[in-house]
Amino acid sequence: MFSSSQFDSAAAFTGGGGGGGFNYSQSTQSTDPLPTSAKSRDTQPMVPVTVKQIIGASQSTDDKSNFLIDDALVSNVKLVGMAFDKAERVTDVSFVIDDGTGHIGCNRWVNEAVDRKEVEGLSDGMFVRIHGHLKGFQGKKQVLVFAIRPVTDYNEIANHFLECIYAHSCNARLQNGVSAPASSSSTLGTPSGYQTATSQFSQDYNLDGLNNIDKMVIEYLERPSSTGQEKGVHRNEIATQLKIPMEKILEAIESLESEGMIYSTIDEYHYKSTSSG
Amino acid sequence: MDTSNPAVFVNAELLRMHVGRRVRAVIQVLRSDGGGTVVGKSTDEQQLVIKGHPPGPLSTFVEVIGIADSNQSIRAEIWTNFGDTLDTASYNQVCQLANGDYKHLFI
Repeated sequence: MFSSSQFDSAAAFTGGGGGGGFNYSQSTQSTDPLPTSAKSRDTQPMVPVTVKQIIGASQSTDDKSNFLIDDALVSNVKLVGMAFDKAERVTDVSFVIDDGTGHIGCNRWVNEAVDRKEVEGLSDGMFVRIHGHLKGFQGKKQVLVFAIRPVTDYNEIANHFLECIYAHSCNARLQNGVSAPASSSSTLGTPSGYQTATSQFSQDYNLDGLNNIDKMVIEYLERPSSTGQEKGVHRNEIATQLKIPMEKILEAIESLESEGMIYSTIDEYHYKSTSSG
Repeated sequence: MDTSNPAVFVNAELLRMHVGRRVRAVIQVLRSDGGGTVVGKSTDEQQLVIKGHPPGPLSTFVEVIGIADSNQSIRAEIWTNFGDTLDTASYNQVCQLANGDYKHLFI
């Protein structure tokens, strides 16, 4: 059944996070041994993020001065970027990290000789990996670093960004997955597995009244790879790429076409999004 | 070193979409003449010309951050040696994802 297989894969993501621990607290099927609750403080997962995600993070509603990235509580972060403006002081060392998506100030408190040794090898312009705690200070966000080391194998950079993408899409999928158990008991009569009765989708996509498969199809047709093709995308390609059975694709195409969001091009099998570009 | 502007991950194919903007790319150095240009192969196997003077000897793979001044060249401001071994396929994938579905995480 479509919905249950999707949900299982979401659970597999939470278990498969490995050392990083992508056990977001919204998950109801976490295979992680630690009890995760939205309020667990001592066992905060460490999330790989881009600086742009940090800059865009909103303050969480409780007073813990934690931040929300993708609506998940985040306090500990992993960053990989270039260090600049290193300023060594008596008790701490501060620098700016730029990972190509933005820059953020970081602070490393130096209490013992081993801490100082960790930072003295760093110089401006060097790629580093940072593990730290995200905090706000006088309205600005800052990372309180508890571990920093230079990057030696540069595959780490690509790897870090892929992890950020993975964590983000895992988190987004979990948020969609939360609605799945509630929906299995509701009978809304539309054929797809997921019911998007929640407002999560509508605020993101402004596609009220469309179900999940329609959204996936229109999203696929709005990608640059699809809009770049003059003749549009063959519906077989949509079915294989999204791994959705053809009859559901046909239903989605029909409903999108009646909404005026897609149109057929060279023949009835090829479609393009009307809002391309 | 001014990196106050975000730099987009690009390969040769994506470079043309960001001409005039700050970009970053990893290239495999093919040849470098002392005259201020380096010819390299991008992560998607196409040739790119990098203008500028590298700060020192270059390793096989180099990341350049700078302004894209044409479909095939970058005016580099920052050069970083990435060593002699690199998985270009994963970097290429990052470029595609960062410009595609996950653009909002990067730019």
